[in-house]
Amino acid sequence: MAEQHLPERQSPLEPDYHPGSHGNFEHGVDVILSETRPGSILQLAAWPGEESRLIEIIRKVTGLALPDGAGGGVSSGGSAAFGFAPGKFTVLDEAEGLAQAFADAMTPAIGTLTDLSHGRTTIRIAGPKAEWVMAKFFAIDFALPAFPLGAGRSTNHHDIFAQIQRTGADQFDIYVFRSFARSFWKALCYASEEVGYEVQ
Amino acid sequence: MSPRRAETGGRIDRLRTIRFTFDGAPYTGYAGDTLASALLANGVTLFGRSFKYHRPRGLLAAGVEEPNALVTVLRGEVREPNIPATMVEIYDGLVAVSQNRTPSLAWDIGAINQLGGKILSAGFYYKTFMGPVIGPLKGTRFWMFCEHFIRRAAGLGKAGTAPDPARYERMNAFCDVLVVGSGPAGLMAAKAAADQGARVILADLEANLGGSANWSGETIDGMPAADWAQRLAAQLAGNDNVRLLPRTTVWGYYDGNTLAALERVTDHKEVAAKGEPRQRYWAIRAGTVVLATGSFERPLVFPGNDRPGVMLAHAAERYANEYGVLPGQRIALFTNNDSAYRSAVALKKAGAAVVAIVDVRGDVSNEMRRLASDAEAELLAGHAVIATEGGKALTGLKVQRFDATSGVLSGDERSIHADSLLMSGGWSPTIHLASQAGAKAEWDPARQAFLPPKPTQRWTGAGAFTGSFSTAEAIAEGRAAGLQAAGGAASSAPLPVVEAAPGDPDPAPVFEIKAKGKSFVDFQHDVTAEDVRLAHREGFISVEHLKRYTTLGMATDQGKNSNVPGLAIMAEALGKPIPEVGTTRFRPPYTAVSIGSLAAERFGDLKPERLTPMHDWHITNGARMYSAGLWYRPMIYGLPGETVEQAYVREARATRESAGIVDVSTLGKIAVQGPDAAEFLDRVYTNMFSTLAVGKARYGLMLREDGLAFDDGTTWRLGEQEFLMTTTTANAGKVMQHLEYFLDVIWPELKVTVTSVTDEWAGAAIGGPNARAILASCVTGTAVDNATLPFMGIVHGQIAGVPVMICRLSFSGEMAFEVYSGAGYGTRVWEALIEAGKPFGLVTYGLEALGTMRIEKGHVTGAEIDGRTTARDLHLDWMLSKKKPFIGSAMMDREGLIAPDRLELVGLIALDNRPLNGGGHIVEELDEANPHASLGHITACCYSPALGKHIALALVKGGEARHGTRAFVSDPLRNRFGPVEIVSNHFYDPDGSRMHG
Amino acid sequence: MLITCPYCGPRDVIEFTYQGDGNRERPQPASQNLDAWNAYVYDRLNPAGDHNEIWQHSGGCRAHLRVVRNTITHEILSTEFARGGHKSTDSRAEGRS
Repeated sequence: MAEQHLPERQSPLEPDYHPGSHGNFEHGVDVILSETRPGSILQLAAWPGEESRLIEIIRKVTGLALPDGAGGGVSSGGSAAFGFAPGKFTVLDEAEGLAQAFADAMTPAIGTLTDLSHGRTTIRIAGPKAEWVMAKFFAIDFALPAFPLGAGRSTNHHDIFAQIQRTGADQFDIYVFRSFARSFWKALCYASEEVGYEVQ
Repeated sequence: MSPRRAETGGRIDRLRTIRFTFDGAPYTGYAGDTLASALLANGVTLFGRSFKYHRPRGLLAAGVEEPNALVTVLRGEVREPNIPATMVEIYDGLVAVSQNRTPSLAWDIGAINQLGGKILSAGFYYKTFMGPVIGPLKGTRFWMFCEHFIRRAAGLGKAGTAPDPARYERMNAFCDVLVVGSGPAGLMAAKAAADQGARVILADLEANLGGSANWSGETIDGMPAADWAQRLAAQLAGNDNVRLLPRTTVWGYYDGNTLAALERVTDHKEVAAKGEPRQRYWAIRAGTVVLATGSFERPLVFPGNDRPGVMLAHAAERYANEYGVLPGQRIALFTNNDSAYRSAVALKKAGAAVVAIVDVRGDVSNEMRRLASDAEAELLAGHAVIATEGGKALTGLKVQRFDATSGVLSGDERSIHADSLLMSGGWSPTIHLASQAGAKAEWDPARQAFLPPKPTQRWTGAGAFTGSFSTAEAIAEGRAAGLQAAGGAASSAPLPVVEAAPGDPDPAPVFEIKAKGKSFVDFQHDVTAEDVRLAHREGFISVEHLKRYTTLGMATDQGKNSNVPGLAIMAEALGKPIPEVGTTRFRPPYTAVSIGSLAAERFGDLKPERLTPMHDWHITNGARMYSAGLWYRPMIYGLPGETVEQAYVREARATRESAGIVDVSTLGKIAVQGPDAAEFLDRVYTNMFSTLAVGKARYGLMLREDGLAFDDGTTWRLGEQEFLMTTTTANAGKVMQHLEYFLDVIWPELKVTVTSVTDEWAGAAIGGPNARAILASCVTGTAVDNATLPFMGIVHGQIAGVPVMICRLSFSGEMAFEVYSGAGYGTRVWEALIEAGKPFGLVTYGLEALGTMRIEKGHVTGAEIDGRTTARDLHLDWMLSKKKPFIGSAMMDREGLIAPDRLELVGLIALDNRPLNGGGHIVEELDEANPHASLGHITACCYSPALGKHIALALVKGGEARHGTRAFVSDPLRNRFGPVEIVSNHFYDPDGSRMHG
Repeated sequence: MLITCPYCGPRDVIEFTYQGDGNRERPQPASQNLDAWNAYVYDRLNPAGDHNEIWQHSGGCRAHLRVVRNTITHEILSTEFARGGHKSTDSRAEGRS
């Protein structure tokens, strides 16, 4: 199936995705919002004691070397990985078919692989006011020393569960459940009006 | 020029004139003025009418503790009541009105209440509950009679009814050090902590940082204190690791050093910038908090102490020094401590005549005598004010010789002509946040004040908050606190040098002058000293009872002025020292907080909602949406002119006659994976899943630990170690938590991963006699015939070029299939199915038709699995495996759960052919006048197109035994009574021949 | 109130769900001892003081935690994963609790 050329997926944000500058942007935009639409989003879970073997598999398959420690992560070009729970990792790639790439390496002795490529929507916020806007939603510390580059966090905004990876000094990728994505997107745009935002 | 504005002085911008209105009259002020200072400058003395007696009231204070001058600010249709005029910054176009007066502030008919003072004394409200007997009016009736008038007469501002269009936001913040209060102590603490590299937030409820430095008139490091503060604030503002939050009231101190603050972002602006919130609710998690919240000056309690023109001494000093406004031309002061002498000098310097300083202490220090002579004031040591004169403005006062130890007045009364009386009853540290944080305040007999308790959380105090009332102490303590909070070592570097007036911080222990007339303790709630004594006489001697009986300290100012004097008077009545009377614990919020800021973005369009992948298609194609929890689902796809009932009857009928399709993407879906997945499901479900073949699905039932039914759904075995569990839409989250709990806490040895994949899959259920033919015409890569896809079988194929997974299962009772695809392809697959169905007359159907068909089939949902029913009650006992234990198996056979008179699931048919209602009761004998003896209730109802009747599912006592008998529906609430027949819940196709095909 | 999740660090209590008394002991699955089941399902300690509780970090990593909390002061005395085996590898967590 991986070889098959699949049609483009529908974005849950479509009717509310308006490229251009919005809000209080007369003096410039302070955040840029976009949907990154990776082709593959996987969840990999290791059984207790198998975590380091799983990290090794991730390195072999994707080339991403995960740092040690809770919430440790790395992003590079079109791929990224981070821990979001004990023994659990989110791994993504801009191309489809990552699940197939992992299928052989992920034996039942190590853990499980769950394909969430459709189930999670990835929204990127970048710019000098990214931390400020994110702080309106999430009760976690976005300052660089507390939330280092590449690291992942699991948190929520009201009922909206979110995984967040810092993919730049002033850039975050937010993974939300697809069904909540439009609602979250609208709220994110609303909250960004104050600083001026551009949708790319 | 304004009658009371000095020619020079103050920290206002005299080049920027601001125009505003108060009670409809136009006024001007300067940028930097509060509504209070601007009106005072215009000669306004009357600001409000008191709560109970409608007495005329003026400004008592200059800051947040102002109890009298409460105003309503109007913005278009939106009104915000009960804001102290001292906290309203004026802007061009500000519209403010006074409160609690009819028809106007000057002529208020409620003032007649002043004559009925006896009736309205402490506890008057409660006494009306008991009430005297006046004709037919006694007890409750008397109260109800009185209540109408009491509620109208007593009160504060009126809330508006127009929707508030303003934007409110929540903001989360983290810091190493939060400094609350930006006076000299707070500024020094913030600077010291910031210099250590700590992340610092400095919050102050005032617009200008600096606190008392803005009006103290002192000199720090050779410059005016206000300039020193401004310079320090500017230095802090340039620091990357410092966030300054002016106009931000820290109002709550919660567990874990979490603090709540309200920032008034645009309340002082004529127009907010685009996207700028009106107010921001800050949730601040602080490593350490430095409390530098200062102190409040206390009023003295004496007859007429509430007359307009009687003001706190420091407030007058502040109006003069910060705003260049004099509260009067002929000023008298009344004090029990040294701080008022400094105020006297300041006012003299600002241009007022200080006619007298009345000091309760007979023994006044030489330093104070010198200050009095600097102010050219007559010093009346060992005297007290016993009365004030005037109406809506003060004209004079009366004094008498006073003994501070015995409280005895003696000698002749003497009148003094004055238009302003400034009082100082000592100072109370602002310990509210420390008290909220946990521990009890401690009484300090020297300071005659409650000092902050020992910290129970990570905070440290500095300055007047700790009872150190001098600026030099505040600076030293502030720096020490900042260093300590940031983990720095104590510093011996020289401190800024303060030049200030001398003064002993300890007042004489005099709170009240007992003379004839009303002496107010709580200005905002009109509680007098006599009310406190009355409460004592009537037995309300605990401080908590005192508070509730007299309402002392329960107004919007929460007793910021009145707590200590009230306690002192109660202590005297009890003959006990103040610490033995105790104090109430302060609770959040410190000041009023708008509901809007607490709700922040969680209302209206921004409320989180969940949409299925096909949501936009539904909207475009005429669906009327229905909110089910956070989900939005089509209720019906109505044709023009159709009622809801007509639409669902058409949809259900067409499905049974040909085919229908429904969006089932909202069903909870959980991936259950791992070597022990099958074993885990055996433990979780009442029936077996380890025996399920790969590529097959099974209907499963879960119980709770207590043996009652929990949730049901189908689970599909996609691989040896891989299952896809479905749950009801409503219980998806609960089931997920249930599974996670057992895997984490009870059976950690099981190697199983559970993951919510609800959003991964779009689901479409297509059912009806032609469903298979429709599928066959659009599915590639697999056959869908009975052999390839038997009942509960699963196949993989493609529709419209995308992979799909199809399971043959039925909720409607028809031959039906659930088609799952990646959510991003949901609409594509849905549209392909619709297209393929066109030749067959395929209809889309919504929740109403779905519900109708499930009722016809007698399937249970959350209405029946209501947390009180067992598997047996629902006729699902065939699913209870006897081969294995499962969650709930041990508890499900308890006596009460197998009793013969339990409510059991049955079907009902309305014999009068009228609609039934959910919640209606079932009775054996109809008694409309006296409905009684319920046998059970209706859980779901509809008009059944298949049966041509109004039917329902119900839970009825001994249900199965009643099949074929007659009963009645008794629904007095909706006046629906009538005969029903009790039947099996399987109304339609009971042997399942249609779905098995 | 803040609870320090061994994985995520200190988080606001709104991210957590209380999942019951941590002192309960579940009988063996096949046990027919109704008294033991009754105690497990219904009996609760409700002490005024230190209490063993189960909390789920439901708005975060979703792990269940064993938490010792003082019911009078709300002080959290300790937190650990309810499921053994995954000791925190988070150096950030050190010194936090």
